[in-house]
Amino acid sequence: MTTVHKYNLPDFDIFNNDQANKNYSFWIPDKKYLILGQSNKPEDSLFEEKVNEDNLTVYKRPSGGEAVILTKNTLVISIVFTAENFENPGKYFSIANGFIMNALRKLGISNIGQKGISDITIGNKKILGSSIYRRKDKIFYHAVLNVSESISQIAYYLKHPKKEPDYRKGRNHQEFVTSIRAEGFTFEIHEIISAIENEIISNNHN
Amino acid sequence: MRYIFKFPDIGEGIDEGTIAEWYIEKGQTVQVGDALCKMETDKVVTDIPSPKNGTISARYGKIGETINVGDPLVEIEIEGTEADAGNEQQTEAVEEEGAGVVGTLEIAGNNAFLPASDEGFDEKEEEDKKPKKKALATPVARAMAKELGVDISKVTGTGPANRVMKEDIQNHFNQSGKSKTPSNSNISGENEVEIEPLSQLRKSIARNMVQSKQNAAHMSVFDEIEIEELIRIRTKYKERFAEQNVKLSYLPFVLKATAMALRKFKALNSEMDLENNQMIYKKYYNIGIAVDTPDGLVVPVIRNVDKKTIFELASEINEMAHKARNKEISLDDMKDGTFTITSFGSIGGMFAVPVINYPQAGILGIGRIVQKPVVKNNQIVPGNVLPLSMSVDHRIVDGGEVTRFLNQIMEYLSDPVSLIID
Repeated sequence: MTTVHKYNLPDFDIFNNDQANKNYSFWIPDKKYLILGQSNKPEDSLFEEKVNEDNLTVYKRPSGGEAVILTKNTLVISIVFTAENFENPGKYFSIANGFIMNALRKLGISNIGQKGISDITIGNKKILGSSIYRRKDKIFYHAVLNVSESISQIAYYLKHPKKEPDYRKGRNHQEFVTSIRAEGFTFEIHEIISAIENEIISNNHN
Repeated sequence: MRYIFKFPDIGEGIDEGTIAEWYIEKGQTVQVGDALCKMETDKVVTDIPSPKNGTISARYGKIGETINVGDPLVEIEIEGTEADAGNEQQTEAVEEEGAGVVGTLEIAGNNAFLPASDEGFDEKEEEDKKPKKKALATPVARAMAKELGVDISKVTGTGPANRVMKEDIQNHFNQSGKSKTPSNSNISGENEVEIEPLSQLRKSIARNMVQSKQNAAHMSVFDEIEIEELIRIRTKYKERFAEQNVKLSYLPFVLKATAMALRKFKALNSEMDLENNQMIYKKYYNIGIAVDTPDGLVVPVIRNVDKKTIFELASEINEMAHKARNKEISLDDMKDGTFTITSFGSIGGMFAVPVINYPQAGILGIGRIVQKPVVKNNQIVPGNVLPLSMSVDHRIVDGGEVTRFLNQIMEYLSDPVSLIID
């Protein structure tokens, strides 16, 4: 039986704190965490035996999508938007992913694209997954970018998701997911943070 | 008057959402912008705000229930100036765009507004004049009524507060002697028909088949092979396998022969990725087997066929057949296929033009083994002949390649020992 904790990880602070200086944040997880989507069940999404054997903490985030693993080699990017008139939340995927894709392109990573509902890909492989939670007029976008984590870690803890985007075409984790490092780019996480932050600031979202 | 608020399109290109939480109860007063419920779609969890001031007179769907965009979410009893306004203003209000609410709203039509009371009306006399009363029903029941052409307002509900349930629609439809046919059907009302809602499996089959035919350039070749040696070997080992509760058919041999041929003809084990202008050649050989079930076609996948023995393949086929019969085939069982075999010969028929399991590059059809005259050593003798039908995506595979591939499979099947030698 896996204990699932309420989501209170550092990336959520900017959503909960109206006095926050910035409406975006970057968080490099200090250890491994497993994060379920709002409607995921541990038994459906995780290899629970391995998760419990390795004593990993499992959280359920407020937003949708499938389970992810956070590690020191991933980057969690969060952006809060204030939406007047309860606008269509889907468009915020384009805005936020646009910041990130532009930053990665400027770093020299080619073949970057957005596929599925809100994934960022290199070629046909996923490097970032994102989701949105909206409460009243605040829209919380958060994403996990795989900078250099081994895909075997994902396959070790996470089952094949019940729902998948069309472009996945049944591929297993090893074939579907990649990292910036695995694609031959050796940027440090802080270089990536700096590039994305510049992109956000230059677009006046701060 | 009542305002029916429907689940709006929240703009991800998806057409359904799951109710995660209700924030309001029947009888509760709401203001424009108050959160009605929390809705979850594939990637977004969002509060759905009220588009109107008023009192909640009904809410549809339970927590965990999936509803479609356009299904009723709540009914709001509107008070004040809007309610006092004349009919013209009522109509205006109904047809307005959903300003200030999530995306573009599908607003209910005129009959979404109901008189607050039926007082003063002789129901029979006025039945045709007044707007039809909106029946209280579950979203599933509404969809089913639409599918079956049932007028939901004439159905007596047996659910809570007389809500019309799925079973009520089915019962009403059965009792009505199938008097209704869908308005868009071209079936004459004079002919007796039976109408069933599409199952998820049938919808999925339909979608996949059309996707294949629209995207792949189908091309087929046919051939026959005399399989005397294969029959001898199968007969020899059949009993031995049976002792271990494994039924040995010809399919494991065909699977093995196909996987080994795929290793030599990589185009047949590939897919075309037009988005990125590239071919994806797969170095693993997972072969799907099209299985006929009472509910429709399912295609469980046998993985790493090239690395498995005939016994292992036979065992797995038996297991998949058992799962299929008991409706236990999971999504995981059907994923990651790189090629497909359809063995329709076990039912009957010799040749077919199989439809490719897109985006795979090919599919092999196995017909019924028949006895027919063959020429051996310049003599006409009776032979056991296995018909083969092969369809490929001609964008990926040329005619010569597929013919050589089929020749290779036939070579393996005519000399089954080569399956363990090569």
